[in-house]
Amino acid sequence: MSFEPKIVAFCCNWCSYAAADLAGTARMQYPHNVRIIRVMCSGMVHPEFVMDALAQGADGVMVLG
Amino acid sequence: MTLSEVTAIDGMAGDFTVTVKESPRYVDMEKCIACGACTEKCPKKVGSEYDAGTGKRKAIYVKYAQAVPLKYQIDPDSCIRLKKPGACGFCEKVCDAGAINFNDSEKSHTLNVGAVILAPGFEVYDPTPAGVWGYGVYPNVITALQLERYLSASGPTEGHLIRPSDGKPVRKVAFMQCVGSRDENLCGNRYCSSVCCMYAIKEAVIARDHVPGLQTTIFYMDMRTHGKDFDQYLERARDEAGVRFVRCRVNGVETDGRGGDLRLSYVNEQGRQLEEFYDMVVLSVGMQTPKHVLELAYTADIQLTADNFAATTDFQPVQTSRAGIFTCGAISGPKDIPQSVVEGSAAAAAVADLLAPARFALTSMASFPKEKDVSGEEPRIGVFVCHCGSNIAGVVDVKAVEEYAATLPDVVYVERNLFSCSQDTQNMIAKRIREQNLNRIVIAACTPRTHEPLFRETLKAAGLNEYLVEMANIRNHDSWVHGGNPKAATAKARDLVRMAAAKVTYGDSLRPISVPITQSGLVIGGGVAGMTAALNLAEQGFAVHLVEKSDTLGGNALNLKHTWSGEHVPTQVAKLVDRVVWNERITVHREATVTAVEGFVGNFRSTVTGRDGASQVIEHGAGVVAIGGESYIPHEYNYDTITGVVTSVQFDKLFELKEKHVRRGRRFVFIQCVGSREADHMYCSKVCCTHSVQSAIALKKENPERNVYILYRDMRTYGQREALYRQARQLGVIFINYELHGKPKVAARGGEIDVEVWDHVLHRPLRITADMVILATAVRPHGDAADLGKLYKVAVDGQGFFQEAHAKLRPVDFSTDGMFVAGLAHYPKPVEESVAQALAAAARAATLLARTEISLDAVKAAVDERYCDGCALCVDVCPYHAITLVEKSAEEGGGRIIMVNKAQCKGCGLCQGTCPKRGVYVAGFTMRQISAQIQAALAV
Amino acid sequence: MLDTKKVGAVLIVGGGVTGMQAALDLADSGYYVYLVEKSGAIGGAMAQLDKTFPTNDCSM
Repeated sequence: MSFEPKIVAFCCNWCSYAAADLAGTARMQYPHNVRIIRVMCSGMVHPEFVMDALAQGADGVMVLG
Repeated sequence: MTLSEVTAIDGMAGDFTVTVKESPRYVDMEKCIACGACTEKCPKKVGSEYDAGTGKRKAIYVKYAQAVPLKYQIDPDSCIRLKKPGACGFCEKVCDAGAINFNDSEKSHTLNVGAVILAPGFEVYDPTPAGVWGYGVYPNVITALQLERYLSASGPTEGHLIRPSDGKPVRKVAFMQCVGSRDENLCGNRYCSSVCCMYAIKEAVIARDHVPGLQTTIFYMDMRTHGKDFDQYLERARDEAGVRFVRCRVNGVETDGRGGDLRLSYVNEQGRQLEEFYDMVVLSVGMQTPKHVLELAYTADIQLTADNFAATTDFQPVQTSRAGIFTCGAISGPKDIPQSVVEGSAAAAAVADLLAPARFALTSMASFPKEKDVSGEEPRIGVFVCHCGSNIAGVVDVKAVEEYAATLPDVVYVERNLFSCSQDTQNMIAKRIREQNLNRIVIAACTPRTHEPLFRETLKAAGLNEYLVEMANIRNHDSWVHGGNPKAATAKARDLVRMAAAKVTYGDSLRPISVPITQSGLVIGGGVAGMTAALNLAEQGFAVHLVEKSDTLGGNALNLKHTWSGEHVPTQVAKLVDRVVWNERITVHREATVTAVEGFVGNFRSTVTGRDGASQVIEHGAGVVAIGGESYIPHEYNYDTITGVVTSVQFDKLFELKEKHVRRGRRFVFIQCVGSREADHMYCSKVCCTHSVQSAIALKKENPERNVYILYRDMRTYGQREALYRQARQLGVIFINYELHGKPKVAARGGEIDVEVWDHVLHRPLRITADMVILATAVRPHGDAADLGKLYKVAVDGQGFFQEAHAKLRPVDFSTDGMFVAGLAHYPKPVEESVAQALAAAARAATLLARTEISLDAVKAAVDERYCDGCALCVDVCPYHAITLVEKSAEEGGGRIIMVNKAQCKGCGLCQGTCPKRGVYVAGFTMRQISAQIQAALAV
Repeated sequence: MLDTKKVGAVLIVGGGVTGMQAALDLADSGYYVYLVEKSGAIGGAMAQLDKTFPTNDCSM
């Protein structure tokens, strides 16, 4: 079985989350491994969240803002 | 009301009857869910108006991906079915929502309104009929709007810059300025379109970002970058982005006969005939009033100018010739985005002045049932899974998601809906909430960015706190982007639902913050801008305090004689002063300044101190800063030593008094850009070119024998002011261009003045003997700006002018809520722009003052007193200065703790991300909620 | 203008940035607004622009 990474993405409501919405509207296809968590600003993402995600088995964390 | 046009306006100011014709859309707006299935199946392709003809759209289409309303429409001119009954009809067959209606018909609406605002905009000049520079013949000659689409990621080439003729990458681009502007021969548009210089520079810079090493050249007559920060951008474009600027008239554009290369020939400033090759030629097309707007003007019965723009006056820039009908934007002259937005607000202010007695007469507030307290209850989660027609259900196995959701902890109710957002489903969800006693809701559907407000209303209607809903975005982030992998999409949908349920489990009932408003305004500065803003607010019914530093109202306008269009300034200013002084709602504080400020939006307390030292505290809900600017006092050009060297303002006075040196003078030299557009003052003062040209015309008219010279860098008689420049040339005023590195030299010789300037036509220094030299001196920011800025926590820019919240979209707002800016305090500008900005500031302030309280979103930071130890790390990171450090009282155990001002907090959570002790959190996005979401994301 | 009828509603022709700004300000200060747009969606000319000076913000 091939390796399927699990990626957690923190997306800012005003830019990257909106961009992910638009990617949908444009039907852009991308790998299904990413799980998006909406935040009101990427500055809201506490370092602990990143550590948490990695500790709980995420293979990658993205903070997009 | 879309697809609608006004066909008649009857009645009078305060009470109009307007007839509106609504064309059929052939798509039911209530039913259409914008899934796009219809467009996919539609066999008919036509050129897209949105892409300026560079791309294609279908006969059934949505104007653009982010359109509002996001509803499809059928273009009856290209639809096969509408042209031939019985044919095609594919869209109707694939529409799950049943939204297609080929029998839709034109409707007529009759509306009763108190005022009408005309904001129909402009069209870009079409160079096709005149075949300008081979447009329409050579495919690589395009318009700037087309380039804008090519550069856009949503455009026809997804942002790749390639030659339309052969798809080869573009390496060299030429921009041709003034196409369809400043040109009587080809198009008859004699005015300057004002925006093309700046957009050409912007496009040249951005194009280079797309194609590293791209060579860009702009061929121009005058660079008119007179707006705020524009000159700095011009400098950066030249010095950093390598944009080449060539002042010349291009003679011709031809193909080289083989590939798509274009050969440009022109005469450069040294008089040499040159030829260069380009991959692409971009025409910087101007603005003009479209035919349908001319018809609208006729319908509205308003007057137009010679240039076909709506006629307005400088002191009432949004008022048309017909009472009760107002204009804003490009209908009343070419203008850029910020000025258009300013006028939008200004028109609102003018309408509010007219209709103040009828405020709140026709608006209503929605009412909701009493909210249930769920704080003591165990979570009872209801999950609603949306099919979105086939948008979600076509990819995701929604039944499997539904079954999975039912197994999640605390989930007590699950159901699927064809369209969760439809009105009947909304009612049904509300019913289920009550029936099943649900206290947390998950909607697995589309994006919360568009639909969360709708579902919040549903919860409110069901008596549940509106913040107890969470959306799982299984459409935009799932079914739409993993269409090729239904299995993975279904698994992801399960995860997204689990994450949403985990988050909402820890959700709390939140209450929107309500802040009371002091319904009065404070205006600082008693010039034209300040008085206009104060007067408008007072006419709208609000009490206003007007603070003026000097003992006289009028400000800088007291030095002006005529506006560019010839209105007599002293008369208008006197009228304005009269109206302000006699208005019972305005309190004027002369010889007074603001010395201390407390509070925030809705609740400011400003201390106003008079020259005698007496202070008084004024409470106000909003404030307008209109402290104006100052005139630069020059030292260059021997201004200090030669009496015949004067500033423009001094010259105006001498001219009016018919002073003998002016009266007898035969030779006058104007020098432009004195104190503007150089090293430490890299900005254009915007008003001086027009001022000098007007003075030159007056001199010539008085005595045509006079020799009048204007030494300039770029002649910036923008918009319809171009008519003055033309008139001056016709009267024989001599314009000589100089560059920054070759400034004119001014020296006294006996009773005369020698002026030496480099002549670009003759290529040698030119010596002019003058009786008088007039320096077009700069407008400087007011010396008090920086201090006042600190008091109100509003920023000044690098030049010392006040900094608005957003250069384009919030041109009169400060980033501090409740404070607004107008007039020269913001940037040099002529009277009509100051007045428009003042009206706009008043309109923006009135949106606050009209209410007794404002309700703010509940997503705000809050202190957790158990953990906060007053370390204050969050205080500095808060971009809104919403957090302060306070001492705790003895009974609270002493020490320090932070306090969040909810009115200033925007809920961004920088504090939460910074706090090492969990002492501060954002409601609705708490550490616990996000942790639960992370855990749920990785649970399987 | 004494005692003439004043209707608390406004009709705005044009759904570009200018018309929208006027509509928002009027609606926020207590007037009913009819926004009449000729095409199928509001947004006007600015929606066609790729990026805007000075921040290169996307025009959307």
